Amino acid sequence: MAGIARIAPSLSASICRGQSLSALSVVARTNTTEAKKPEKTTFGPLKDQDRIFTNLYGRYDFGLKGAKARGSWYKTKEIILKGHEWILKEVTTSGLRGRGGAGFPTGMKWGFMNKPSDGRPKYLVVNADEGEPGTCKDREIMRHDPHKLIEGCLVAGVAMHARAAYIYIRGEFYNEASNLQIAINEAYKEGLIGKNACGSGYDFDVFVHRGAGAYICGEETALIESLEGKQGKPRLKPPFPADVGVFGCPTTVSNVETVAVAPDICRRGGEWFASFGRDRNRGTKLFNISGHVNNPTTVEEEMSVPLKDLIERHAGGVIGGWDNLLAVIPGGSSTPLIPKEECDTVLMDFDDLIRVQTGLGTAAIIVMNKSSDIVRCIARLIDFYKHESCGQCTPCREGVSWMMKIMHRFQTGNAKRDEIDMLYELSKQIEGHTICALGDGAAWPVQGLIRHFRPELERRMDAYEAQQAARN
Amino acid sequence: MLRLWPLRQISRLQNAISLTQQACNKSSVPAPSPELVEVFVDDKQVFVEPGTTVLQACAAAGVEIPRFCYHDRLSIAGNCRMCLVEVERSAKPVASCAMPVMKGMKVKTDSPVTRKAREGVMEFLLVNHPLDCPICDQGGECDLQDQSMAFGSDRSRFTDNAFTGKRAVEDKNIGPLIKTIMTRCIHCTRCIRFASEIAGVEDLGTSGRGTEMQVGTYVEKMFKSEMSGNVIDLCPVGALTSKPYAFTARPWENRRIESVDVMDAVGSNIVVCMRSNEVMRILPRLNEDINEEWISDKTRFAYDGLKRQRLTTPFVRSGTGELVPADWESAFVKIAERVNATDGDLIAGVAGGQVDAEALIALKDMLNRLGSESVCTEEKFPMTNSGIDFRSNYIMNTTISGIEESDLILLVGTNPRLEAPLVNARIRKTWINSDLCVTVLGAPVDLSYDYQYLGDSFELLTDILNDKHPLAKGLKEASKPMIILGSAVLQGENSGAILDTVKSLSEKLRAGSEQEDWKVFNVLHTQANQVGALDLGYAPGVDAMKGSKPSVLFLLGADAGTVKREDLYENALVVYIGHHGDYGAQIADVVLPAAAYTEKDAVYVNTEGRAQIGRQAVSPPGMARQDWKIIRALSEMLGVTLPYDKLSDVRARLGEVSPTFNHAGQVEDAGFFNLSDSATVPRKESRPAVQPLSPALLSLRDFYMTDPISRASLTMAKCVQAVDDAEKNPYSKPEQS
Amino acid sequence: MASAVVRLAGRLRSCARLVNTRPMSSATSAAGSTEAALDTVEPEHKDITITVDEKMDISSFTGVPDEHIKTRTVRIFVPAANAMQSGTFNPRRWRMEFDERQRWENPLMGWSSTGDPLSNTEVNFMSKEDAIAFCEKNGWDWFIEAEKKPTPKRKSYGANFSWDKRTRRSTK
Repeated sequence: MAGIARIAPSLSASICRGQSLSALSVVARTNTTEAKKPEKTTFGPLKDQDRIFTNLYGRYDFGLKGAKARGSWYKTKEIILKGHEWILKEVTTSGLRGRGGAGFPTGMKWGFMNKPSDGRPKYLVVNADEGEPGTCKDREIMRHDPHKLIEGCLVAGVAMHARAAYIYIRGEFYNEASNLQIAINEAYKEGLIGKNACGSGYDFDVFVHRGAGAYICGEETALIESLEGKQGKPRLKPPFPADVGVFGCPTTVSNVETVAVAPDICRRGGEWFASFGRDRNRGTKLFNISGHVNNPTTVEEEMSVPLKDLIERHAGGVIGGWDNLLAVIPGGSSTPLIPKEECDTVLMDFDDLIRVQTGLGTAAIIVMNKSSDIVRCIARLIDFYKHESCGQCTPCREGVSWMMKIMHRFQTGNAKRDEIDMLYELSKQIEGHTICALGDGAAWPVQGLIRHFRPELERRMDAYEAQQAARN
Repeated sequence: MLRLWPLRQISRLQNAISLTQQACNKSSVPAPSPELVEVFVDDKQVFVEPGTTVLQACAAAGVEIPRFCYHDRLSIAGNCRMCLVEVERSAKPVASCAMPVMKGMKVKTDSPVTRKAREGVMEFLLVNHPLDCPICDQGGECDLQDQSMAFGSDRSRFTDNAFTGKRAVEDKNIGPLIKTIMTRCIHCTRCIRFASEIAGVEDLGTSGRGTEMQVGTYVEKMFKSEMSGNVIDLCPVGALTSKPYAFTARPWENRRIESVDVMDAVGSNIVVCMRSNEVMRILPRLNEDINEEWISDKTRFAYDGLKRQRLTTPFVRSGTGELVPADWESAFVKIAERVNATDGDLIAGVAGGQVDAEALIALKDMLNRLGSESVCTEEKFPMTNSGIDFRSNYIMNTTISGIEESDLILLVGTNPRLEAPLVNARIRKTWINSDLCVTVLGAPVDLSYDYQYLGDSFELLTDILNDKHPLAKGLKEASKPMIILGSAVLQGENSGAILDTVKSLSEKLRAGSEQEDWKVFNVLHTQANQVGALDLGYAPGVDAMKGSKPSVLFLLGADAGTVKREDLYENALVVYIGHHGDYGAQIADVVLPAAAYTEKDAVYVNTEGRAQIGRQAVSPPGMARQDWKIIRALSEMLGVTLPYDKLSDVRARLGEVSPTFNHAGQVEDAGFFNLSDSATVPRKESRPAVQPLSPALLSLRDFYMTDPISRASLTMAKCVQAVDDAEKNPYSKPEQS
Repeated sequence: MASAVVRLAGRLRSCARLVNTRPMSSATSAAGSTEAALDTVEPEHKDITITVDEKMDISSFTGVPDEHIKTRTVRIFVPAANAMQSGTFNPRRWRMEFDERQRWENPLMGWSSTGDPLSNTEVNFMSKEDAIAFCEKNGWDWFIEAEKKPTPKRKSYGANFSWDKRTRRSTK
């Protein structure tokens, strides 16, 4: 899962509060360098020539030849030779924010690695442990366009003076790992990576490490632990990976999509990338649409595209029509759901989703129409989080399993009304008190459910009570 | 009104001296460095060193942060989340145990956010905790119990107990010492960290994840460590409790007596828990200079040996050769008859390793008054060259805490892991936290840290001395080298050569060292009061005594079996004064029952030369009496009444004989290094054959039963059994590396 | 007698403070026969206060039998913390304890008995000077056991993960 990586700690607490926060204001600052131009008001659809991932559906060759035909590895040497500062500047200009979910400004994050070296090597770690339910964007990149990622590793690696990149790929992604490895072998053979990568004089290695399928290993520090061969249990921050990361060396963990778009940003310019989407939510993005839609899909779209447009245009609409929509989970399973009223107008970007008390996450849209049992859906999600909790820290270990027990009772209505408030409070006791963001991710769906579907919960409880009364 | 004023004044004087010394120690604390970080804890300003954690800063401000996973002596885990505190301008509460302080940080330890966070964590911890406090051995000294009272909610919201119940975890069998009730575990991982960091045994870990996470050994096996019992203290709940102590007492019923351990020569500080005149258990007591807050398993669990095989009444050997119970008077009369008819030269005394200083001085004084100079210890020490003339020749000169400053340690013929587990723990601690290099001349045993094994031949030692060995260079380059010589290798024939060589080497290093006060030479004894006996003028080893063929022999707690009937004059009278029916009592004609270490106020001198006072916890069983009182009474019977009636008088006498005993708890510095070094004359070239430099204790099995108390202990016997069984366990790591 | 001890124990703290903080207001020299001193203190209520720098000895009228004054040694110490990590306030006080006397098992109920009325006294002091003054006043021999404090250690969470260092942890 690029799953949990996305929720940067500083962001997480405020997402639900719907406040703007320090991290975001930093982004605003970086964007003030842009030339003033009239802001766009409509977003999407994305033109074909603006797509970065042109082989998203695997219609063409994923190998080096096909990739080169699609523009990969074009003038990579020149990009490298322009130096790390230029790359960082372009990435900063582009306004790219981490695609793993937390949305931390990428340029700034990579910039953290530019501290003078103390002798330790630096590493880039690519988080390809895409485990978030509903999310399927990184796998499309890795199996159909792996060279984008490898080139991205090189560019990002140069930007942060990394010695090597470790691609930590989810264990279940067998074919993806296989395609990726083939692509890496091709790249080595061509001299694109390895010693004197692309003839630029820069030495850079790329390694693939297959995980064992734990969701928590998508959290960046747990991923580092797992990469070191230990149990994938998150570390506290500080120290941040940029200080003590994999093998005790400075490390940056980035999502596959973030890394993969870097070469194109450098080739086409940060300005080009920044021309998409609203301020602070720049660029193009892979959206995954699943659930009760006629045509579930993964599609590259402009940021800030309206949710309704996205579903209607690319996913063939909600089964039973837009009016049959019940709720949408807009950013992968760990973001709170939003009911239909919000879906009508909301834009798919970081800020607008925070406005409606949810988050962009990995932009994995899970659509639920009125045929779905919303309480059961959320209960099932909590089952998942309970199963994937690493057990290291108390609130998550004990709290999530307790939430699961309560959710299952809510599903049948076997509970008291005041337990709804209790459950909400429990979720608040978990949120923000854990080492990593998994606890937050488990708490938010429940909070979303209670926020928007409290009458439904109460109805079930009343029905259950009536049923019990009739039985006695 | 037998007040001996002068003596009393002496004790006053001693007090005054110790007070001034403490004052001196305080003033020697280095002044705080200027670049301190200013932190506000609940608006109270404190200055702490950079890199300090928030929790430590709060402690400096006098605020205690509740914690479960954090422990002062273990690495930081940060997983219990109990120590969450609000920090101004931080979106979330931070884990204070892991967060380093930052300049101007404002910590709020009693704000609503902090309290809410603690209450939430506490509620979660209690959700799957069985709450079987009434039948839990930890009850009364349970961190969870305590902190739930202080920081928890006043009622439970866990309604799901009625629907799904609580988590239950299978108990694990990790040996005869530690009882596990894993359902109570709150997954703080302190035991795991203790095992891997302090004990150096990677036996414990977690398996599973989420609520199914379990702490254990994965496959069932024994937690094979010589200090495994410490996890009982570490466990904040009742998941790991003491097996021998199970269901025997509650902490509030116990009387806690602060005493000193005699199972090894470290002199660990302990708390003896007593109830109704019975030792219920033994716990460690903090002393940074010696045992920090750990004790070895033998120290902790051998106490049940105090209740078995005890001598509770005097015995006199009858005409048919049997020991028959007698009263004190007839036993004394029997001794007096013989002693009065014997020439002083033919009277001798042998003291065991656990005898307290009071008894030692009493016996020595008595025998001296009877005209005998022949008092010796069972444990040998070479008398070649300056021998024991200089105190620095037979103590651990750098002290145990000095290990932490060392950068190179050479262990000669010792297995500190089993001979002195806490010295080994200190070496391991230093090894972890610094670039300490350890080299070993002896046996390639598992010491829980990496070391360079050189071999076991004596020639290697001489090679090092003569710069023919690569280590010689390393020792010369080390800024604070330490050589630790095990007393076990000094027991063999011609061990003087070993001592001399090590002495010469140490002298060479000390003379060449730039560190003024650094003393290189250390002896690691195995007997609790061997140093005390040597300080009091006992001769080491029984060989000289045997030569004189004594006709009356006093065995004072001498149970190592070094003296046999054949060594003595025909029909010699052997008087045994001791507490256990062990070897000494078997060969004795008269047995006088004495007190074990928990039954007397007594002074012991550990291997550093640190005199420490052990306190009486329980009364000696039956007719047994404290050793020095027995000897005092006997002396009256023999017509050489000793001039002390009270303990303080004996202590004053101890102080007269050796300054060691003047400052309890402190190391009496052994001076005269230059003198003692110059007295070490290089030996002639023709060397006698020396046996390999192998220590006596090699495997964990040997560790458990080494003295009369542990030999009588059922728990220790079970440990030996368990280690034997563990050897057969295919999943158990073979001990020998 | 027993009641005297109990009463004494109850007031020990205040007594100790009294001695420390307030100089004795007695016109006579406090030494010598204390019975006489007692008698003379009360009637002589004059305005002059003479401070006598002499140690007070109340042992002769505390009611403690002689054998429990002349033969007892008091150990003044800071009690060791228990195994728990919480409750760090207790070990900050100074305490006195007497040497242990014979105990035996009572044949009637199997309870433990002792002939030592002082064995159950538990007196805490804010400082060792208080404790010393109290012992001096009561005529007990005393000795001090040095306070044992843990030394603060620098710790870093990051050390768990550093490479090529022995602080690195392999287990969780």
